[in-house]
Order: sequence, then C-alpha cells, then structure tokens
Amino acid sequence: MLEIKIAGENAIIIYLSEQVSEHTIDDIAFFTALLKQELANVIIDVVPSYTSLMLSYRLDKIDHDTLCHQIRKLIETNTIMIKMNQTEVVDIPVLYDSDVALDLAGYLHEKSLNLDTLIQLHTERDYRVHAVGFSPAFAYLGTVEPRLVTARLSTPRIQVPAGSVGIADNQTAVYPIASSGGWKIIGRTPLDLSLTNPDNINLFKLGDKVRFRSIELAEYLALGGQI
Amino acid sequence: MSFRIIKPGFLATVQDTGRYGYADRGVSQSGVADEHAYHWANRLLDNHVNDAVVEVTIGNCEWQALDDMEIVITGADLGFTIEGKAIPLWQTLLIKQDQVIRCDSAGQQGSGIRAVIAVKGGFQTEPQFGSRAVNLREQMGQALQAGESIMTLPLTIEARTRRAIPYYYKPDYQEPLILRLIPSYQYELFTQEQKGTVLGQQYVINSASDRTGCRLHGQAVQDVPSKMVSEGIAYGSVEMTTDGQPIILLKDRPTIGGYPKIGTVLSLDLAKLAQRQAGTQIKFELITLEQAQQQRRQFNTFFGIR
Repeated sequence: MLEIKIAGENAIIIYLSEQVSEHTIDDIAFFTALLKQELANVIIDVVPSYTSLMLSYRLDKIDHDTLCHQIRKLIETNTIMIKMNQTEVVDIPVLYDSDVALDLAGYLHEKSLNLDTLIQLHTERDYRVHAVGFSPAFAYLGTVEPRLVTARLSTPRIQVPAGSVGIADNQTAVYPIASSGGWKIIGRTPLDLSLTNPDNINLFKLGDKVRFRSIELAEYLALGGQI
Repeated sequence: MSFRIIKPGFLATVQDTGRYGYADRGVSQSGVADEHAYHWANRLLDNHVNDAVVEVTIGNCEWQALDDMEIVITGADLGFTIEGKAIPLWQTLLIKQDQVIRCDSAGQQGSGIRAVIAVKGGFQTEPQFGSRAVNLREQMGQALQAGESIMTLPLTIEARTRRAIPYYYKPDYQEPLILRLIPSYQYELFTQEQKGTVLGQQYVINSASDRTGCRLHGQAVQDVPSKMVSEGIAYGSVEMTTDGQPIILLKDRPTIGGYPKIGTVLSLDLAKLAQRQAGTQIKFELITLEQAQQQRRQFNTFFGIR
C-alpha cells in the first residue's frame, strides 16, 4: 500500500500500511532513512509512526506534485534492506515494586497475575520501537504478551514520575520526564532518559530493540533511582 | 550586556523559528506563536530571521536594561511603558542602562495577548538541539524567572534612524478572524453533514488553550470517526475529539497523535489566532493547497525565510 495525502501547507503524510505490524516498522524505518538521505535538501522534518510517515518540506525548493512524484519513485524502486546485523538491544533496568509503581498492585489484581509472572512476561521478550512521540524520547514499545494487555486509566494522571514504566493497550513505554499520562504504571527505571543528557536523543529510534531487566532495590538505588 | 527580569508576568519564554531535524525522535517543532509579529520585530532590527526573542503572554512584567540597548516590541499592545511613558510598538527604540520597561495590565480587550520583545542581535541563551525555543510541555528550557538575567549582544552605537512598520502592515487583532482550512488527512472520512457543522458555524475559543493547542467550542460534530492509529501531526492540523469539538494543534504540540483530523489551518492565520483571547469567535473557511502555498511563499519571500 502506498497512499500520499496532504497534511498541511508544506507537509504530506505517506501511508505504507493499514495495519500495525513488525514488517511495517521495518518498511517505515527504512523509508524514513531513505527519504531523509535522498531528499535532504527539501525535507525539513520527518515523523515516522506505526503505519505512516509525515514529512514537512521547504516551499522554496519544491512543490507538492513534484515531491509526491519523487517520493513515489523512490519508494517503488527501492527494495527494502533491513539491517540484518542489528543485534544491539537497549537495556532498561526496572524496579517492579509498589513503592515506585503507582498502579502495580491494582494491575496485578486486575490481570490476576502474581508479581513474578508479571516480571517474567514483561522482561522475557525484545520489544521494537513502534513510534517515538508524545514527548521527546518517549518510545512506544510493542507488543506486549497478550496476558499483559490492559486499558488506559479512565482519567489520566496529572503527574507521572520520570522513569515510570507503563502499559497501555498492547504497548509498553518509559516516561523520560515527569508528565501527565494515562498508562498503568508497573515499575520504574533508575536511568535518566530525559534530554538533560543530550545523548538520549538517539536512544530510541523507530525499529530499535529494547529489553527490560528486573533489578532489586539495592541496584535501583546504586543506579541513582529515587523512591 | 543583558536584561534583568524583575517580574516575568504570567508567562515569558524565549522563542525563535523553532526546532527542526529531531521530530523523528519525538521532539516538538516549538517556536514563536505569532510569526507575523516575530518576523517584523527582527526585520526592524536588521536581525537574522532566526534570532531569539521573548514572547510575553498577557503581560504584568517588569524588565531592567543593564546596558544601553536597541529593542522593538511588536504583537499585543499590553501597555508597555518606560519611565512612565508609553512605548510605541512596531518601531525601534534605544533604551539606556538602568531604564525599566514595565507593563502592569493585560492591555485592552482585543489588543492581543502575546507581545514579542526583540533586541538587536537576538537574545543569547544556550541553544538546545539547534534552537533557543522553550517548550514547557517537553521541559525544553524554562520560563523566565524573577531575578534572572538574559544575555544580549553589545550594542554598537551608530547613529541609526528609528525604524517603524508602515501603518498599513499593522495588524488589527479585533478584526473578525476567519481561519482558512486546507482539506487534509481524514477530510474525506467526514460526511457532508459533519463538514457542514464545522464550516457553517461560529466557534468560540475555549480558555483551556495554550501553546500546544487551541481548543474550540461550538455545536458538536455528531458521530466523529473513532480514534485511529497514531500518526504525525502537522502545525495547524485540526483534530476532532470524540466529543465532537475541534482542537487546533500549535507549535508546542506532540509529534504524533491519534484523533482524526478534518483539515489544516494556514499558518498565517495561526499567527492571528495567537493574539485572540478565550471567548473570541472564529470561523473556518476552505482554501486550496495551491492558494495556501502561494500565500505562505509570499510571506516567506517578504521576510527572507527559507
């Protein structure tokens, strides 16, 4: 599927799939890189997401029709080359404990799970970055084990602490900064994922792999975690 | 070479044209709310098109010049004075060391809500990811605080003529505002009746509006298409929430969102919207992409924006 629509006076959105899937993520990650490289002199910004890729462009360099034509040609003539040697996995240590996880007790009750099973199910798989957004370095990671799927809170919290690890629908994520939010919080990482450390800008990119690792309180504190 | 903030007022933030190149990693566009007032301020000072200014929202602020400076205030007329005398807006002004600029009120009804204070050479805060724009939602920088000083470049004193904007370029923020809407995104997913509701009525700006989004209130659109897979959201795109009320997404918006969008407002009209207070009535009217691009290209050429 390839459909291009107007998104704004200098923006278009390219749809590459109707459904969210691992394959789509690879396609979108690949075409994001390709378009950024091939159209570097006309593109201002690119926003990849689950099934689409939105981009803004310079009106002094190109018009809508020419841009759409060039993009169609690029997408239709390029076979997808996925980085086969992508073995690097971002490791996120997490303390799964009610002292730092606002919804843990309620969540375990709702899902009829004990803590060990939750930890096992949440840490046993590599997640892919399906999208980055909401706030900088906020990565939507998918997909969680079906037994962990849960609805968002009916009323979002005004303040979710930085480092909170949450689940909403079939996605999981870490809040890099304190913000409002409706995800159910099941743990907290001691890592500072905020842009206070500018290197974190490159921590999560679409398609990257992420794995959670359960840690004890001692390690959490040693890594700078706050209770 | 600096200004000291004695009283920041309701909200004062450093802004420029925004932050670009990091949207794929979730970083918002950010940048000045009223591009018209912003570009005029820099143009009058012969500044670079991206020089940083301070955006003052609603007023009640007090600043002291710690050196001689050349400044321009544009945008909302919030009742700025210097040594008790009204400061003329939309023109350059030399101010002397220790002089205090003040605005006590929120200005007159309809005189706008956001003023731009620009200084020769721009404010010299530390850029983050290529921009000085502050985005409170992202904790990217912070609002100006009382007691803080904000650096400027040394003033090279030359005998300069005071420069002012031609009278006919001065905007009238009381003028009825029509937001020109480009059909975009899920436009064709909305029925004729739903489009008719959006295009056929006067909306009122809701007080829960900020630099992230402008919430409107009016007769609800019935049976809005349900939430969808999150996708990139452009400046000015109009989300239709589940309760049938539109939100116009602005400079501090998140990069992605999951509500259906009925169109995208022309940026030149968003600059005007940035000066309208809660309670103001607005209306949408369709514009073609070609017309919208022609208008924006003209604006860009006039101000020398790429």
